[in-house]
Amino acid sequence: MALSRRSGRSRLTLIFLILTSITVITLDFRGDGAGLIGSLRDGAADALSPVRSAAASVLEPVGDALAGVTAYGELEEENAALRARVAELEGSELRDESAEEELDEARRLLELELAPDVPRINARVVSTPISNFEQTIELDRGAGDGVGVDMPVVTGAGLVGRVVGVSGSRSTVLLVTDPASAVGVRLARSGELAVASGEGPEVPLSLDFVDTEADVDLLELVVTDGLDASMFPPDIPVGRVSLAEAAPGQLQRRVEVRPVAELAQLRLVSVLQWRPG
Amino acid sequence: MTTATRLPPLLLGAVVLHTAVFPQLRLFGVAADVLLLLAVAAGLTGGPDRGAAVGFGTGLLADCFLQTPFGLSALAYSLVAYSVGAFAETILHAGRWIPVLTTLVASAGGVLTFAVLGLVLGQEQLVSLRLATVAAMVGILNAALSPLALRAMRWAVDSRPVPGPVLR
Repeated sequence: MALSRRSGRSRLTLIFLILTSITVITLDFRGDGAGLIGSLRDGAADALSPVRSAAASVLEPVGDALAGVTAYGELEEENAALRARVAELEGSELRDESAEEELDEARRLLELELAPDVPRINARVVSTPISNFEQTIELDRGAGDGVGVDMPVVTGAGLVGRVVGVSGSRSTVLLVTDPASAVGVRLARSGELAVASGEGPEVPLSLDFVDTEADVDLLELVVTDGLDASMFPPDIPVGRVSLAEAAPGQLQRRVEVRPVAELAQLRLVSVLQWRPG
Repeated sequence: MTTATRLPPLLLGAVVLHTAVFPQLRLFGVAADVLLLLAVAAGLTGGPDRGAAVGFGTGLLADCFLQTPFGLSALAYSLVAYSVGAFAETILHAGRWIPVLTTLVASAGGVLTFAVLGLVLGQEQLVSLRLATVAAMVGILNAALSPLALRAMRWAVDSRPVPGPVLR
């Protein structure tokens, strides 16, 4: 009897907590991340960021060692794939003049300063993702330094992601590899437009909407398209094509792109103070 | 000292571990979910009522550091901790491995619950091929940490006798 009464009370507690959760979720959706909930998140991020920065610098060698151990198989596979690719390139006709010209063009593009007309804020990466689902990093610059939501983030090599959260002194950047990330891109040589979507950590981006007849080369450079209302300035290198194949019966070509920025080893980045036109 | 004075510092410590320490120590790219672990530990030691309440609290703390809808973790963690508490009440003789195995299954279940509820709320990116790896690894890592979490939760939560069998 007592157990049944207690079980009934437990169910009431659970129902109350479920309803409270749904109310909080609704408030968050209606406030679009701002208001009280936004302030709570900003405050929590600001309060813990010194601890997180300190822990990151102390524990980084241990984390690197663990990553090296658990990713050993992948590294071996990657090594073998790279060796095979080098051999293939050495023995193929890709070394002809037109390919070299294309490579030179890509090199020139990489050497150009990215979006030179756009003011930028240099920032240090102070922590890696907390969640097992989100590919985000935290920067030591925030709203007080001029960082705003949706601003693009780059390294000297290319696109890193965009700012998705800002507090007074910190900002959160969604990396291009996050499954929630989608970037409008253009294949540098063919001019083909597509959307580069994140597929998770250490996984190449996938290009959507590439026609089966499109002419796509391996290692071809992929840059931001810069179309009207695009979230990124034009011609920022995003990655290089690592796979391009047309499967029979498919409406679009399967194309994968490896980001040019070393997303696993980010230290310093630039936030571009750029707003869509 | 009572729950009111012991639980807040435990939660604060857990937040520091969850946001600053364990994200640096990843196995196969996955970190332990300390706040989910505490919710499970509360269910195991305190029953469904207390488990759901602590799960709701730790879930809200987790939501402070995520881009997903605020309250999503609170919902998932309270559901999981309630289920763990209800399960723990049915066990008459808990062997040494029961809490560890329960934590493994409940933590993996918590990750899946979070992803599925997120999917319902339009967070399609949470459900991917990687989800199985994340759930399995969180389960294993949390199970490895469960003896410490159970001890900490027993210390923090007021241990007045609760009628019915609950893992202690």
